[in-house]
Amino acid sequence: MGIIKFNKHIYNLEAINQAIKEFKNLAEFSIKETNDFFEIKLDNINGEVKEIIKDEFANYVLGLMG
Amino acid sequence: MAIDKDYNFKVKENFLEFNINSKIYPLSVILQTAYFFLDKVYIFLDGDPNKEIKVIMKGKEGQAGLSKLAGEFYNELLNQLLREKVSATNAKIREYIVAKALYNAVPNEVDELLKEVEEEDWQEDPLGIAKTWEESQKKVKKPSSKKATEGKGKKRPPSLKLRRLKGKKGRK
Repeated sequence: MGIIKFNKHIYNLEAINQAIKEFKNLAEFSIKETNDFFEIKLDNINGEVKEIIKDEFANYVLGLMG
Repeated sequence: MAIDKDYNFKVKENFLEFNINSKIYPLSVILQTAYFFLDKVYIFLDGDPNKEIKVIMKGKEGQAGLSKLAGEFYNELLNQLLREKVSATNAKIREYIVAKALYNAVPNEVDELLKEVEEEDWQEDPLGIAKTWEESQKKVKKPSSKKATEGKGKKRPPSLKLRRLKGKKGRK
């Protein structure tokens, strides 16, 4: 399990949702929205990508926004 | 955590952290710059876009070269900032050039009509509009005069009066 907190003032939800679609085969994603953050919870992560999935996901979201 | 006094970099294990004044470099510029480095490092952004953005870099292959990359990040920030300013300055000229190129690429309706007119055989007069009234009348009269001439060659049947006279002569 892992949690990534994306700042709402920097990242947009559309990019996050798009990234989740692309990564859905590697883990189970759920989104929780707080005042300042989109909290993405990752469960049942594929063993092969366990170490890098959070960083790759964050990079992917950033890439969709660039 | 080590602090680089010159650039305010904080290096810890495989991470490098620094802040960027977003009043100097807007968020759009920072995002463009981050995009440029996505293949080299993992990048995460945080902070307040109206004050200061925190950039967290994580090396994909260890700590080697992270500080150097941070310096390059600042250089690229300047580059992207300049690009954005030039882009904003030239926006109208760019739009004008693109609009003109598109306008020239689409065939002009007036040109097409002119071409059609040029290709047409204007000397043809299928409706006889270009002819004078006399000329057109001659054409109309022709069939009736033809009918008149048609009868001349043939023998007319004898009239009723003539037939009666012939009948009286025969009786006598």
